[in-house]
Amino acid sequence: MLLPLLILLPIGFAATNIYRTASADPGPMILAAIYIVMMLSAHFVLVASGNRGDPLLLPLVAAIGGVGLVMLNRLAPDLGTTSAFGLNMNVAETQLLWFAVGLLAMLTVAIGLRDDRFLRHYKYTWALAGIALLIFTFLFGTEVNGARLWIYLGPIGFQPTEFIKIVLVLFIAGYLAEHRALLRDASLRLGPIRVPPLPYLLPMLAIFVLVMLVVVVSKDLGTALLFFGIFLIMLFVATGRRSYVLIGLLLFLAGSFVASRLFEHVARRVDAWLDPFADPSGAGYQTVQALYAFGRGGLFGEGLGQSLLPTAGGRFFGVETDFIFAVIAEELGVIGACGLLALTMALVFRGLRVGILARDDFSAMLAVGLTVSLGLQTLIITAGIVKLIPLTGITFPFVSYGGSSLLASFIIVGLLLAISHRSAVADEREGRGP
Amino acid sequence: MTGEILRILLLVLQLAFLGLLYLILLAFVRSLLRDLRSAERAQLASQAGIGRLNVLESPDDEPPAGRAIALGPINSLGRNVNNTVFIDDDFVSAHPAMLTFRGRSWFVEDQGSTNGTYVNGHRIDRPVALSFGDELTIGRVRMRLER
Repeated sequence: MLLPLLILLPIGFAATNIYRTASADPGPMILAAIYIVMMLSAHFVLVASGNRGDPLLLPLVAAIGGVGLVMLNRLAPDLGTTSAFGLNMNVAETQLLWFAVGLLAMLTVAIGLRDDRFLRHYKYTWALAGIALLIFTFLFGTEVNGARLWIYLGPIGFQPTEFIKIVLVLFIAGYLAEHRALLRDASLRLGPIRVPPLPYLLPMLAIFVLVMLVVVVSKDLGTALLFFGIFLIMLFVATGRRSYVLIGLLLFLAGSFVASRLFEHVARRVDAWLDPFADPSGAGYQTVQALYAFGRGGLFGEGLGQSLLPTAGGRFFGVETDFIFAVIAEELGVIGACGLLALTMALVFRGLRVGILARDDFSAMLAVGLTVSLGLQTLIITAGIVKLIPLTGITFPFVSYGGSSLLASFIIVGLLLAISHRSAVADEREGRGP
Repeated sequence: MTGEILRILLLVLQLAFLGLLYLILLAFVRSLLRDLRSAERAQLASQAGIGRLNVLESPDDEPPAGRAIALGPINSLGRNVNNTVFIDDDFVSAHPAMLTFRGRSWFVEDQGSTNGTYVNGHRIDRPVALSFGDELTIGRVRMRLER
């Protein structure tokens, strides 16, 4: 499964360099080589350690990340370098470093997590740690593009919300697994509406509202949407009740409406979404440029290295992070963009399968929540770029440049591998085929 | 002239890149479909059970630790050999507990045993709904309810 990457990455790197230098020189391949070697060795370490987890997860991640690395390598000359620890590195080199860190974290989680009991039993501790981290970010974080998301420790900045996402899923999974039967079967009737038993829902709602409050106050709307979506889907999977989802969606719509009236920055986002062309060089600039990029890309794309976005007067920001999907659509066309989305879909499919095959409620809920977080994140950012929903800043998992996002996504894959390993071992013990 | 060649070369590379991307996708989709079909067959072949008890700890080795006991809708647990789940442990009464599947949930009820029935370490005094993954302790035998 990993072998086609051996050709895909060099082709991408070569096309980029040939266009840039206008000569038939394929350019240096060292980054592509390192990436492939890293993925292959991670795969072999997994196999050698006896991990019987889902064998398609890592190859899928490698394919998605490979497209991302080709794009970052193409964007690197336009973005300049950052220096850390006395090393000058461009975005592709930095990302490759984070790939290494992420893979190590994934292997540690996948191989080291033999028993999930400590994840399950300390759910309130996890929730508190997450909230503490959120409040810390809110108080001491650095504001970038109107959202307070970053904590800087010396030269390294990180986005705590990426890790809070995982912790939140851990908490919800632990809580739902413990109280699932009660939430599902017991209910109060208020006229025709079945209301969930409040005492059991209340602790979860309280922590959830607290998280949402801090996220909304720190103006990070994409993350708020992501957390809310994860919460609703996990609740639905645990109880099988459509009414919860319906009530949740209505609440969310009402909340968004109130927010767009109350907060100026939300109102600006919504206006820029409804009619970006009203102010094409101001509030609507990013959306309009992204839409033009899709138009220029057409079906097959302009070609690698030929996007106008990174150099468009130097005003367009986020080509390597939030808007990388617009660059991909411009250079690889709708076909390339859809291919990337289909790969992500396959990853989500495999993740949900891990949840279906899990032997206990906690593992199942955890797998579903983590998978949904990856899928929803992709959905929110791509839908935002194509003007399907209001644009909110969030990363494209495994594609966007960013250490925190990459590390968190790899930890998620590590957890999925650990869960599927346990169910595979249990199946084998009982002589049931995979 | 060289510009023309380069343009063609770039076009070829572009198409090769996209083609390869879809080849990778196709490979994944094929193995996903294969997996779905085999899962379908497996489900047809075996009637999916409603649950099983996985024995985690059993000092007297009856039932042996590590065994998974398939459950019917109504199960009695205890030291009497006529129980559906026979537990040979000195600390277990003859008929200490009933484990039943009602509606969509598992319930466990203590039948007035001396040493009690524990769910996740808490002694129960009324029928309790169980989730998959909950631990059931009767006497010195520790079991986990699984799908």
